Amino acid sequence: MRKFEAVNWNAPESDYIEMLWTQNTSQFWLDTEIPISKDLKAWSKMSDDEKLTYMHVLGGLTLLDTEQGNVGMPLIAQHVEGKQKKAILIFQAAMEEIHAKSYSTIFTTVASSDMIEETFEWVKDNKHLQRKTEIIDDIYKGIRDNDPVSLYKAMVASVFLESFLFYSGFFYPLFLAGQGKMVASGEIIKLIIRDESVHGVYVGLLAQEIYSRLSEQEQQSLYTYVHELLIQLYENELEYTENLYDAIGLTHEVKKYIRYNGNKALMNLGFEPHFPDEEVNPVVLNGIRTETSTHDFFSTKGSGYQKGKVEPLQDKDFVVLNDRVKQSDIF
Amino acid sequence: MIPKWIQLNNEIMVQKNGSFQFDKDREAAKSYFVDYVNQNTVFFHNLEEKINYLIEHEYYEDNLFNKYEFKEVKKLYEYIYSKKFRFPSFMSAFKFYNNYAMKTNDDTKFLERYEDRLAVVSLFLANGDMKKAMEYADLLISQEYQPATPTFLNAGKKRRGELVSCFLLEVDDSMNSIGFAINSALQLSKIGGGVSLNLSKIRGASEQIKGLDGKASGVLPVMKLFEDAFSYANQLGQRDGSGVVYLNVFHADIHEFLDTKKINSDEKIRIKTLSLGVVAPNKFIELVEKDKDMYLFYPHTVYQEYGVHMDDMDISEMYDELVNNPNVRKKKIVARDLILKIAQIQMESGYPYIMFVDNTNEYHALKELGRVKFSNLCSEIAQLSEVSTINDYGVDDVINRDISCNLGSLNIVNVMANKRMQETVHRSMDALTEVTDKSNISIVPSVAKANRELHSVGLGAMNLHGYLAKNKIAYESKEARDFVRAFFMMLNFYSLERSMLIAKERNETFKDFEKSEYASGAYFDMYMKKDFRPQTERVQQLFEGHVMPTMEDWVRLKEQVMEHGLYHAYRLAIAPTGSISYLQSSTASIAPITQKIEEREYGDSKTIYPMPFISEENYFYYKEAYDMDMFNLIDLVADVQVHIDQAISTVLFVKDDLTTRDLAKYYIYAQKKGLKTLYYTRTRKKTIDECVSCVI
Repeated sequence: MRKFEAVNWNAPESDYIEMLWTQNTSQFWLDTEIPISKDLKAWSKMSDDEKLTYMHVLGGLTLLDTEQGNVGMPLIAQHVEGKQKKAILIFQAAMEEIHAKSYSTIFTTVASSDMIEETFEWVKDNKHLQRKTEIIDDIYKGIRDNDPVSLYKAMVASVFLESFLFYSGFFYPLFLAGQGKMVASGEIIKLIIRDESVHGVYVGLLAQEIYSRLSEQEQQSLYTYVHELLIQLYENELEYTENLYDAIGLTHEVKKYIRYNGNKALMNLGFEPHFPDEEVNPVVLNGIRTETSTHDFFSTKGSGYQKGKVEPLQDKDFVVLNDRVKQSDIF
Repeated sequence: MIPKWIQLNNEIMVQKNGSFQFDKDREAAKSYFVDYVNQNTVFFHNLEEKINYLIEHEYYEDNLFNKYEFKEVKKLYEYIYSKKFRFPSFMSAFKFYNNYAMKTNDDTKFLERYEDRLAVVSLFLANGDMKKAMEYADLLISQEYQPATPTFLNAGKKRRGELVSCFLLEVDDSMNSIGFAINSALQLSKIGGGVSLNLSKIRGASEQIKGLDGKASGVLPVMKLFEDAFSYANQLGQRDGSGVVYLNVFHADIHEFLDTKKINSDEKIRIKTLSLGVVAPNKFIELVEKDKDMYLFYPHTVYQEYGVHMDDMDISEMYDELVNNPNVRKKKIVARDLILKIAQIQMESGYPYIMFVDNTNEYHALKELGRVKFSNLCSEIAQLSEVSTINDYGVDDVINRDISCNLGSLNIVNVMANKRMQETVHRSMDALTEVTDKSNISIVPSVAKANRELHSVGLGAMNLHGYLAKNKIAYESKEARDFVRAFFMMLNFYSLERSMLIAKERNETFKDFEKSEYASGAYFDMYMKKDFRPQTERVQQLFEGHVMPTMEDWVRLKEQVMEHGLYHAYRLAIAPTGSISYLQSSTASIAPITQKIEEREYGDSKTIYPMPFISEENYFYYKEAYDMDMFNLIDLVADVQVHIDQAISTVLFVKDDLTTRDLAKYYIYAQKKGLKTLYYTRTRKKTIDECVSCVI
């Protein structure tokens, strides 16, 4: 007879698991909490090219989040050892679905039905977007039971997706919000970035755990694999960027931003940066900077609201307070 | 592409050799002028041509200039320009040109520089008296006094909004009154006002309607109505109206009221843009301290039983009576659960604000005239109000007094530097009085009535932390407390003095002055017993060269006030000062800074703003609020509060490892220290929509 075990949170699987669970859950949010209608005025002032880019950017992001929520996270969760680790991954998968939906919330608030339909058609037809999704999807579907190498590869794909491939899309909303345009939608993007950065760090940690247990030979071949995959995705990403941003003249800036985030993805996996240091547009960097504290994953100084931690008052608190009132009278 | 000045301003954050590039900010400000403002300003050959054009094309009010000789007007402009004012940071310049400078009708070109705006405001306030106009000009260009946004923005314009922008309305427990309040909220939002509504009189959910049990829907649907009203009236799409609703913690619907701000509440009841405030009588804190059960009351049954609204009662005094009266419907909760819930919701959403209503009424010189029941969007207003009775068509309404606030702030750094505080405060009070005299909000008669009878104003201050840091005094030090005790004592003294002089000149006091504690002299007891002049050597040095009122001066002032009366029922209130503190390159209000280098998203721009005078030398004295002990902050605010007849917008700054217990301790401490209100609680890095309309 098989024996099913319940997840036991009294016995933490590792020292960071509790912290990650708390960080993830305390960041919970819903798209409907942000009053997107405030952006209607800014939207009406954007040119047709700008609107189209914005829609396509969001369309592309929707596809990636759909892939991550429907395929990536669930498959990795299924194969990871440890019930608490799985719990966090499933929670993250749920957030990915909220992300995917939140782009639609922006669409439906600001754009016409025609534009929305055009965007979803564009998603199906854009070969660069399809290509990157296909690369990632193939790796996810390639996970085999009891095969740490294939699981590691999937985790690498997941980190690349969340810490690297999303950012060609994030650039534009951040760039606009930095100038006071589409600020409410920018807020949503920042909340998503806040999540993705934690996801990237977490899956990166899981990947490093597997990597450290592999033989030197396996490690060497995976090191090569990771860098080849990076370059493959990077080259596709460059063309995708041209495709999206040429019309509004931002291609050059976005490419720098992609390299910047490519390095960050490598660092999440425990590798050295690959691309040389460059100055990224400060308006965009400052756009994420309000969130720095949560980028820095081990500090729990979150931005935005937090689920409050409940602790009861105690009688002795009043003794201290009444004393303090007396002592404060210093004049 | 990104404009050069925004790029430069953002480059402040790019560190070179381990330090921020503060000089980039001056470059940014310069580039903003050279590359943008100058190129987008309409050119005129001379002042006369300019003024004539602006009058002819209906930008300026023509009778503004008709009151003066042109020769004099020219002298005033020349005087202001001769001061060679320069904005020290990009943020301050940007704030002015983006939000305040008058532009052409198509919004493309500037018609005013900062100096022009100051000239027009001075001429407007002086009302034809050239000597006064020059005094105002001097006050404004030296940046000692800054009128609130609505006054500063609108003065002298032909097509303009109101000069005051913050309103507080009572809502009675009737459909007529709710409808009237919604209409008032719409009308006031239309003209750019922020509106506070007192919902404590509304009957609770499941109370009787026309004697039928269980029919009433309570305060929640009323909140929804207001939320929608405020987002509908959005001033030509420029910004949404903003509002706050206050509810007494003893109201039967208090839990549901708070739940509207919970993160995971149902969409149907969720309140997104409306702000919340709770009114907390001392009885509540007492029950918390004793860890007792607490009864919530159904207000309609209280009204039926006593003929008085629960909201108009002193609940702390009436509590036992209400508990023991079987005809009053009630439900039992645990007091500590409620305070922890308030804390939890504050951590999640920043709301609710809290008004310690008994502290407010205890330190209220007008207690014989009426009760203070709620506060406003920024929680610095504390004035009496009375609910009006709105009748059906054909039956006259009974209009009583609601509240409007007309605000301005002193810039502590410049006031201290110029050492003429009596003159500064007198002129500032005059400027506020002028606005009160000119305001008549006829669309809401209860507001107009209160203004007519009480002439209330609210003079406050900003740049406290800037001043302390500049002088290398730590915000949490004894010296800081010593400084505010003396400074705000002086502010109180000179504002009373000016109000008395105006009453004497005009032979007119606020209505029912004779019933107030000013008339009986009781208000002055504190100053008869205690000397508030500085005690520490350091602070005594700071006040060198200043004329400080002595205890004898207070005796003399008391006699004069008792003899001549006061013109203003309310004089002082310390607002949070958003936009105008940027304009003044100062730190906000009397609050500590939140970041040494602020990154500000103001809804319309993202800007990097290093704190005023920041340098390697005083870096240490700019301790950030989140790193401070909030008990120390409350001590300092309490020292200020004794001199302020209204309230102080007090934000608590906490790190998010705080628990509900920690936060509740701050509330209780604030209540025990005599604070009248608490504004937001901000968790590090939290961005809350600031109170846009009366952040002045």
